[in-house]
Amino acid sequence: MKPKVAFFDFTSCEGCQLTVVDSLQTHLDLLDAVEIVQFREAISERGEDYAVAFVEGSITRESDQARLKQIREQAAILVALGACAHIGGVNAIKNLAPLDDVRQYVYGDKHTWYATYATRPISAVVPVDAFIPGCPIDREEFIRVVKAVLLGKKPPIPDYPMCVECKLKENICVFHKGGFCLGPVTRAGCGAICPTYGDGCEGCRGAISNPNRDSMKNVLAEHGLTTEGVLARMTMFNAYEVTKT
Amino acid sequence: MSLKIINKEDLLPFVSNMLREYEVLGPVANDTGFKFAALTDAAQVRLDYNTTILPPRKALLPTQETLFTFRTDMPSVTPAFDMRWRVLFGVHTCDLHAMRMLDEVFARGNPDAHYMKRRATTAIVSVECLEACDEHSFCKSMNTLTATSGFDLHLIGLGDFYAVDVGTTAGDALLENHCKSHEATRPELVLLDKTMSAKWAKFPSRLSLEGKDLPALMGISYKSPVWEEIGVRCFGCGACNIVCPTCYCFDVRDEVSLDGKTGERSRIWDSCQLDEFARVGTGENFRKTHAQRLRHRFMRKGKYIAEAYPGQQGCVGCGRCARACLVDITPVGVWNALHKAHAM
Repeated sequence: MKPKVAFFDFTSCEGCQLTVVDSLQTHLDLLDAVEIVQFREAISERGEDYAVAFVEGSITRESDQARLKQIREQAAILVALGACAHIGGVNAIKNLAPLDDVRQYVYGDKHTWYATYATRPISAVVPVDAFIPGCPIDREEFIRVVKAVLLGKKPPIPDYPMCVECKLKENICVFHKGGFCLGPVTRAGCGAICPTYGDGCEGCRGAISNPNRDSMKNVLAEHGLTTEGVLARMTMFNAYEVTKT
Repeated sequence: MSLKIINKEDLLPFVSNMLREYEVLGPVANDTGFKFAALTDAAQVRLDYNTTILPPRKALLPTQETLFTFRTDMPSVTPAFDMRWRVLFGVHTCDLHAMRMLDEVFARGNPDAHYMKRRATTAIVSVECLEACDEHSFCKSMNTLTATSGFDLHLIGLGDFYAVDVGTTAGDALLENHCKSHEATRPELVLLDKTMSAKWAKFPSRLSLEGKDLPALMGISYKSPVWEEIGVRCFGCGACNIVCPTCYCFDVRDEVSLDGKTGERSRIWDSCQLDEFARVGTGENFRKTHAQRLRHRFMRKGKYIAEAYPGQQGCVGCGRCARACLVDITPVGVWNALHKAHAM
């Protein structure tokens, strides 16, 4: 029997689910291997008997917790899909300012109508079995993780800095071209896509397990980034992790 | 073997002629730098390159390589070998010394079939450096400034012509069949002598000790405070390993199809600076800190290789790791600091 799979979303742009739809078009064998019972962005069925749940989005309201916990109870395997679910993502930038200020900025005089709280990744609410990093996710990595989950293997998510992949691609270092990059502390797996196309890494895949953040700050500053610039770059996707400690 | 002369204008036709029969990898422009790549046109070759990000070892030990494919439904294993004939063109002598070391590492004991096959189908045409590539190289200290073996052909630029040192019978045939050449005349030999003598003064030594004394220095440096000092700023990003011409560690991975019936085993370059490198199945990590990993790397480069493979060096002074490091952890800096601390 094929494993039943469902997709869910919380606070997000749903771009990772769009990438899933995109990757399914080129990996039809995956559609043969699983049965998708719920996927709001792609099908109208709403089956509740899933074994594997993919969750996109961060948790930004207390009222979202119950739904996530219910998904966790049903799913044998829960996978965080993309930066928002994995590390909080750009939604967590709001954690840098007092919550009341943020809510007033967004909702104006109606801010009391909307109960939100500090943004968090789904792992801050329920245990997560696997994660697929990135903003958006890498379609090939998605396929690799699904394969691993179906085969009962540990998903092959790298835990080393992006510099490895960047060097393997023989890119000229972004710093040597006068730019700024979070590659030395950011989890590889994207094939160093941003430096390959001329941009510095913004850290969307989250930090490696053992990041040298002090050294990262020093290097960014030595290359001319202001203190505000350093903070802005290091908290663009990783504000949850950086403000947590 | 012998010394031939080719005119400068015959070099591109030489490359063109080789391209008709072989895959030719040579230095080409890469953004603001250079890299070794398979040529599609002889005119792409840039023998004026200073250095490349990845060393040419990638031609012998690809960054990712399929070792074999397998089936589990009809249990079988099919080895995958790359049997293309290729020419590795324009290799600098530092990299040549590194590949000579790799040749010995992969041939000794249980020979590595994939490396050996690829090596046997690769001809190496190296080129003499007449000027230091930049402030990071220290080939003179490591005695890799020139080479007398390890190549099939070796080019030395002498203005309007190249002197060609023919190192092997394969090199001799490669030259004979693809390029116009003549025996060196007396005046050409004199110019070669003058050029080779004059080049030494143009290269700085940079190390405060001689490369051959590194094993002894490293032998008394295990407990040096230097490792903790540089470990504090190290990212453990592995860039130093990836760009190193003498690193050869690899990881082996299996990729299996969704139905589990077919798959392939491949190897990819690894790095001893990464968290996972020395972590074992139980979760224990034998080199937990950046300081421990850096020490291990410098021990490999300065001592372990030289002792395990007499006549070989773990570092050839190419300077790639120094260029790649964002926090200024360099062989010259580390070894000179250790040398000074021990006042050898």
